[in-house]
Amino acid sequence: MNFLSKLGIGVGAGAASSRELPRTMGMSGRPRNTGPSPVAAGASRAPELRESNRVSNGLKEFLWNLEGLGRGALLDLGPAWQTTLSFFIERGFRVSSEDLLRAWKEFLVEEEGKLREAAGRAAQHTLDVTPSSRAARFLEANLRYPNSSFDAVLLWDLLDYLEPVLAKQMVANLTELLRPGGVVFALFHSKKPEGFQRYRVVDSTSLQMISSPVLCPAQRVYQNREIQDLFGRYRTMKSFIGRDQLRESLFIK
Amino acid sequence: MWKKEDVKSQALPQTATGIPTASLAASSPAREASAALTASSKASACISQGIRIKGEITGSEDLFLDGLFEGIVNLSSGSLTVGPNGEVKADIFAREVIVRGRVDGKIVGREKIQLWSTGNVAGDLQTERLMIEDGAVLRGRIEIETGRPIDKHDEARGVAAGSSKGGVTSVSPGSAAD
Repeated sequence: MNFLSKLGIGVGAGAASSRELPRTMGMSGRPRNTGPSPVAAGASRAPELRESNRVSNGLKEFLWNLEGLGRGALLDLGPAWQTTLSFFIERGFRVSSEDLLRAWKEFLVEEEGKLREAAGRAAQHTLDVTPSSRAARFLEANLRYPNSSFDAVLLWDLLDYLEPVLAKQMVANLTELLRPGGVVFALFHSKKPEGFQRYRVVDSTSLQMISSPVLCPAQRVYQNREIQDLFGRYRTMKSFIGRDQLRESLFIK
Repeated sequence: MWKKEDVKSQALPQTATGIPTASLAASSPAREASAALTASSKASACISQGIRIKGEITGSEDLFLDGLFEGIVNLSSGSLTVGPNGEVKADIFAREVIVRGRVDGKIVGREKIQLWSTGNVAGDLQTERLMIEDGAVLRGRIEIETGRPIDKHDEARGVAAGSSKGGVTSVSPGSAAD
């Protein structure tokens, strides 16, 4: 069994689903090379996508902590949603966007390809596939920013979907990227999520959850103590648990 | 939501092969006489799928790039459309940039940058107005330049699209809702 299978990611299915992105209304059945028709957007809604709004006390608190920052720098580790980017840019933030879960998925598929290639050639030098070395390789190519370059990070529920070793290393890296007093906004599932959702900011008090095709299966459900350990270098932690079993957490460096 | 007039003026009409119809029109003998004038005066330059170029592109006209390009693109007052099959490894400077394929490099779209749902950009974006369709992939920093008067029409459009749950809105400086 290869490591993609262990992580619950099939290469074939994964490659196909990696293009199945959340789309605007009326885009679902369109062949890729014809491109979207913005004019037609709004004509109908893709049936597989469900959206729901939730009041977010965590977001409220996150914004409260960023008040008075002026032109702060924000790192959004989710998909590049126009609404989220607009929200922060209009408030004067300089925003960087990097969909890390998508990058992780693509990285795994790429690694799988390299492994197959190495096996086919009976290569002398084999790829180290231990989770820690994989995490190191992934972080060599991602999250490459100067230290102390961000005031805020939108982490979303990313950690639930990464290998625990990578999650730990990534939090350590993020801590370096944050300035003192910087804030991380993260979500954690209190039980293993049944579906796969992505999030975007609707307004200053609510988030929109968009059900999407599974990009990566959930790897771990973090307990409160484990979350505290992960963010041990942060001076403040605050959590809000919703009825939908989603924990919103704020970490202040 | 996307501007209808933008689509007409910037995104070239496509055939099944992905080649702009403006390029094909002139090749049809029946329509050659009338189409040639239209094509020659209005058609954008086109680098079609399957063509691979390395180097520097400069000019002031519009360009549709659906092939592979590596280098620098500098269209001072023109617009660049990277087609769905386009793969560009270059820093891009243009009046307007529309990305429907893949771009690896910095994009400076003086007036506007549009990322369509099939667009994939690894690089910083610098523009006055940015439009991102759901599904577009972006890895980079966004710099919205100020200094342009607020377009009230755009602002109203942005708010309306925002309320329609995730449609495409435009980001323009100083159009905060609160």
